[in-house]
Amino acid sequence: MNPLPLVFAMHRRNRFSSALFLIIIALAVALGITISAQERALRQGSARAADRFDLVVAAPGSANDILFSVVYLQPTAVELLDPAVFADLLAQPEAEFVAPIGFGDNIEGDPVVGTIAAFVDHLSGGLAEGRLFAAHEEAVVGALSPYALGEELAVGHGEVDADAAADAIDAEEHDHDERDHEHEHGAEGHANLTVVGRMQPTGTPWDRAIIVPIEYNWEAHGLDLGHKPGDERIGPPFAAEHLPGVPAVVVKPADVAAAYGLRGAYGSERSTAFFPAEILATLYDVLGEVTRIMSGLTLVAQVLVVAAILAGIVAILDLMRRRFAVLRALGAGPGFIFLTVWLYVAVLIVAGAATGLGLGWGLAAGLSAAIATQTGVAMQANIGSTEILGLFAFGVAALLLATIPALLIYRRPVIEGLR
Amino acid sequence: MSGLELAATALTLRYGSEQVLDIRALVAAPGSLTVLSGASGSGKSSLLYLLAGLGRPTTGSVAWGGSDLSTLSESKRDRWRRQHAGFIFQDFHLIDEMTPLDNVLLPAWFGRVSAATLRARSLSLLEELAVPLERRQAGLLSRGEQQRVAIARALLANPDVIFADEPTASLDRAAGSQVIAVLTRLAAEGRTVIAASHDPDLRAVASAELVLDHGRMVTS
Repeated sequence: MNPLPLVFAMHRRNRFSSALFLIIIALAVALGITISAQERALRQGSARAADRFDLVVAAPGSANDILFSVVYLQPTAVELLDPAVFADLLAQPEAEFVAPIGFGDNIEGDPVVGTIAAFVDHLSGGLAEGRLFAAHEEAVVGALSPYALGEELAVGHGEVDADAAADAIDAEEHDHDERDHEHEHGAEGHANLTVVGRMQPTGTPWDRAIIVPIEYNWEAHGLDLGHKPGDERIGPPFAAEHLPGVPAVVVKPADVAAAYGLRGAYGSERSTAFFPAEILATLYDVLGEVTRIMSGLTLVAQVLVVAAILAGIVAILDLMRRRFAVLRALGAGPGFIFLTVWLYVAVLIVAGAATGLGLGWGLAAGLSAAIATQTGVAMQANIGSTEILGLFAFGVAALLLATIPALLIYRRPVIEGLR
Repeated sequence: MSGLELAATALTLRYGSEQVLDIRALVAAPGSLTVLSGASGSGKSSLLYLLAGLGRPTTGSVAWGGSDLSTLSESKRDRWRRQHAGFIFQDFHLIDEMTPLDNVLLPAWFGRVSAATLRARSLSLLEELAVPLERRQAGLLSRGEQQRVAIARALLANPDVIFADEPTASLDRAAGSQVIAVLTRLAAEGRTVIAASHDPDLRAVASAELVLDHGRMVTS
């Protein structure tokens, strides 16, 4: 028994409706695949981006805002961490390094971030080329930065006023009237920076950043430079009495116990301390909930699509009832008719689902690329077991539903069909 | 080729309270061409379908070579048709999107003999019936050619019995004459041919004609 030649002939006969049904099934499946694959890509990409930010300490406030500022370099308003708390952190023996993070400047839209060389080395896992900065006006660029080694850059200090973090720093500046530095602010640019190194790709928005010594950042904003006047060194050790406030500090604890100890110690009225992973886990819970709701809606939409298509197919097959009656007259059993009708629907479902799988993967990949371009967070959409299992469940449900038209057609009286 | 002998007795068919057929006795010998004629609605197609085992009579029996179809299950009647019967329709009922050869091979898809095995016989039948094979789609053939493809399809399993439902009604006279010649030849070869038709040319060559009126046989 081989109904396939007949099945394909029926599809050729109804090629337009078959193509339309296939496209609708593919779109319904693709929607589900895209939501699921994209959510996972977003989750994995954002988690990977936060991987090297062990413990973040900042002024009391929204951990979400701080996370978005420090890890994803998104402009949000954050208070400055009290210099005394910062100094206290610097003195912690359980920290391998304590890296202040300062931002607020940009070069043609790419963020200029101030920190210490040890953090750059930690984040990058060794530079791709060049060396770490060793002087105030040296910079290391991210892997995707368009600037080449040796290139001189003029910082448009404070150009991005939308960057609320800059506002916070500017507010701090007014409290430092006693500073003995002179600063030039304005769109015409700050003193030149020279690119001396390039980081390895990190899959974070830091890949597009220009990373400078934190002292450069402080200097640009008219703050204390963290060292005694005249001391031109960069990086730790800092002089506690000359430390300004900072938007955030990334701490690399010596071990797990130290990490929890530090988080506990600095989760106080004067500061907030958190592991980015735990904040992300909370966000993922919300994201997962949204995804579950969207996936549920998509499943309902898929079931409705299949039901509507089956109704259309029953109508089409009804127009072909004489053909089935002729087959019966020629000796075909009802089983052959059942199988023919079921395969007719099954071919549409399987082809639609396979097309939807490819389309969904393509959409998710495109979406991931667009989000990565916009946020700098590297993410890759892949088809995983969730999508395959979902597709399998959809296929099984649809193939079971496909027995309905098959049952409706195969028992129809032959003589009635021939008239 | 040996046909099967038909012996139908006390055959009635009712749809609810409506009496569609009431046939006391009907016989057809192997090698005969029997025409069932009558006005539209007289019941000739219904009788043909009952004789082919497509439905069960309300009462009576339809015996072919001693095997009573009215007592067989649906699947056994399907099998009987696959093994013993060929069917020719007024509108041919080919699958237009398929080649003439694939149309002839259609019964092989639900039979026990593979299409590959029957391919040579299909080609031979098409050649014998002068069907051009170069056409890719059966729907592009002339009506006469299409009916000859349908006859080849009916003959694929080398059946003992041929049922023809108005086989010439959709054809012009020349094409109709060709079909009549084929049916006559099939009967001459020993097959039992039963045709429902009001075509005078076919009735003229029939070995027996049964005229129906409101489901009853009025002459034979």
